[in-house]
Amino acid sequence: MELNKKQYLLVVIMLFIITLGNAQTVDDIIAKHLKAHGDLDKWDKVESMKITGRFTAFSVEDDFYAIKTKDGKYYSELQLGKHGVIEAFDGKTGWTIDPWQDFSFPRELNKNERNVFIQKAEFFTPFYKYKENGCTAELLGKQVVDGVEVYAIKLERPNGFVETWYLDADTYLEYKRESRWVDFAYGVPAETYFDDFRNIDGIIIPFFSEKTFWQRNRIIQIENIELNGEFDQNIFVMPRSNQIEKLNFLIGDWGVRINMWSRRANRWYKADSTNSKIEYIATNLIQENISFIDHFVQSNITNFSFNASSGNYFSTVYSGFSSEFQVFNGNFTDSTFVLQNINMSCDSSDASIQIKATYSEISKDSFVIDVSQSNDNGINWMPGPQLVYGRIHK
Amino acid sequence: MKIKQKYLWITILLIGNVIIGVSQNNNPLGWNQFRGPDRNGASIESLSDVNWLEMQPELIWKKELGSGFSELTISEGIIYTMGSTKTDSLSGFEFVAAYDEKTGNKLWNTKVDSIYIDHDGWGDGPRSTTVIDETQIYSLSAWGKLSANLKEDGRLLWQVDFIKDFGSNIPRWGYASSPVIVDDLLIMEVGGSDSRAFVAFDKKNGEIKWSNGDGNASHDSPLSVVLDGQEQTIFANGRTLYSYSTKGDTIWTYSMPFGGLTAIPLLIGENKIFLSGVRNPGFIIVEIKDGKPTEILHGNSMKNDFSSCVYHNGYIYGYHVAALRCISAETGEVSWTKRGFGKGSLMLVDDKLVILSDKGRLAIADATPKAYTELTSIQAINGKSWTAPSFLNGKVYIRNLTEMACYKIK
Repeated sequence: MELNKKQYLLVVIMLFIITLGNAQTVDDIIAKHLKAHGDLDKWDKVESMKITGRFTAFSVEDDFYAIKTKDGKYYSELQLGKHGVIEAFDGKTGWTIDPWQDFSFPRELNKNERNVFIQKAEFFTPFYKYKENGCTAELLGKQVVDGVEVYAIKLERPNGFVETWYLDADTYLEYKRESRWVDFAYGVPAETYFDDFRNIDGIIIPFFSEKTFWQRNRIIQIENIELNGEFDQNIFVMPRSNQIEKLNFLIGDWGVRINMWSRRANRWYKADSTNSKIEYIATNLIQENISFIDHFVQSNITNFSFNASSGNYFSTVYSGFSSEFQVFNGNFTDSTFVLQNINMSCDSSDASIQIKATYSEISKDSFVIDVSQSNDNGINWMPGPQLVYGRIHK
Repeated sequence: MKIKQKYLWITILLIGNVIIGVSQNNNPLGWNQFRGPDRNGASIESLSDVNWLEMQPELIWKKELGSGFSELTISEGIIYTMGSTKTDSLSGFEFVAAYDEKTGNKLWNTKVDSIYIDHDGWGDGPRSTTVIDETQIYSLSAWGKLSANLKEDGRLLWQVDFIKDFGSNIPRWGYASSPVIVDDLLIMEVGGSDSRAFVAFDKKNGEIKWSNGDGNASHDSPLSVVLDGQEQTIFANGRTLYSYSTKGDTIWTYSMPFGGLTAIPLLIGENKIFLSGVRNPGFIIVEIKDGKPTEILHGNSMKNDFSSCVYHNGYIYGYHVAALRCISAETGEVSWTKRGFGKGSLMLVDDKLVILSDKGRLAIADATPKAYTELTSIQAINGKSWTAPSFLNGKVYIRNLTEMACYKIK
């Protein structure tokens, strides 16, 4: 029996309709992907995951610890070759202490790194509520990757970064992800493979992931996940350096008595009293705003920071009186903290005036600053104003 | 008459040894150099009589060995390799040593240089693999001292210093190139000044027989092959592939699209050279015809880091960064990928892949493009294992930064 033209056309249309009926949309596939990850109601009850396992870098395996929260926070401690690395992300910004980059102190993450930490912090799968979260997804089709049939889905995140996810066509669980990663803070392409899916209280989580980027290879083998466990919320905050924390005695609201030295009477006398506020204005930067009268009005803005390469504290003092900056450096000597001005003249022989600020009698609720001045290269020092700080308890 | 009889017996014994040796391998000296007798990671020993359903590699011995990445070279019942000993956290020495192949017991140990301490933490000690001839063993320390020692007792015969004698600059992770023997020459990538990048030394006394080329010392090793009927030594140095005759004349050069290769050039068939590195394009195959190199294929389906590939029946097997892979040498198409070995190493024995993971898992699989089919595997050695295995007389020899081991396969 031969088909006439009309019959042939009818068969083609029916086949097309059947094919259309069988074809899965991206949301069909995502729905199956979410179902494969377990009970969504249970996922909704998970607020945090405390993860312990093993991390492999440079072919050496070591302990791994991470915390992820539902609102996109992430913290981890891992061993990367000979160096321990700490990294944290609060969902928007983050920091890392990575000695491989020759920094022993925490530094902020750049844009490429923030995109990496969004991936690291992935709590569940980016396809859960992806539209609500500002992502778009596009089905690229059915493909074969390493002999595995997969659905390839292009995912664009709200930050503009694009990823390709390959979901196993049988299990609908993720098999592979292609995304942007970082190597020494520079953006590089990466491939991540997922495996060893385990059921934890009704939710399905990949316990194994292997990532290749550039010539790097990293493996995470999770050993245990604790859901909704206790942890210190402060771990996501960029830690201050130990050195700057030595200046914590400065922090607070202060009542300040200004004493001046009477050469005639050979004693201090009170010239003024004022208030001062000293606070952190950045992770490792302390600032004081103070205004007092020693004869003229002295309105100073003083910044304190620590310079790791020189091993000294630096302080910039902006004087409202002269509208000039002075730069001081110094360190702790026994129980006092001493800063001395740096000669800012282009002519190094012009040692002119030296100013020294000595912080002493440091206690929980008080300290004293003695300002002194030398006109002969530090041989003789004349007392300047003395500032006596007492904490204001609110 | 007695003297004649004695010589007759010696001759018979020698011929017998050669025949047995040849039947076991394609070099009477055994696994005598980096990547085996033909520097291609392959042994032609037959594994056809192994019952893979029952076979489990059997540990013969395991011994401590000082830190280093040198492969184990084996010849006439003796293992020769390099290692290092730290005397304190800042100092120590590198050595060449010989071990009884049957027991792993040390026969002798000779210091050749100060220890190279890797401040990145990858591993201290020598990187280069020794090469053996009938009477001597040649080694290169990580600080660039090329030594010739007597196989019999390890006595130092001669030594040259790449840094002092040639003005060479130590590569990023220490000298790693492995020497190759061509006739009476010991050919090396030296990286010296004044057109002494590549140098042929007289094996007997270390005298320079020829030198050629400009370029810094790299981490790559030369390949000695016969192409177009001509014996030539090929160096991948910087972004250039150099070919030199046994007399040191330049036969051809080829400008590669990438540089910084660590994996040794691999002969494909009779006249093609496979080169791979982690940078794009990943790999190229260069065909040599009438003394002229031409690229016939490139692709990114194989990106070797420090581990070298093997070739078998039209297919290349190796590590695409950290995934074991089989690709077609004709098209570059991926036949299969197997993860789980990290940045491991491999060799080819008969038609089997002998694989060592970067954490010391030893596996044997069919060398076939159809699929990764594992026949057996065992956790053979613990810790970072970046040194490729060696194979001789049915046994696999492996090492890492702390120990070495011998496993019987058949």
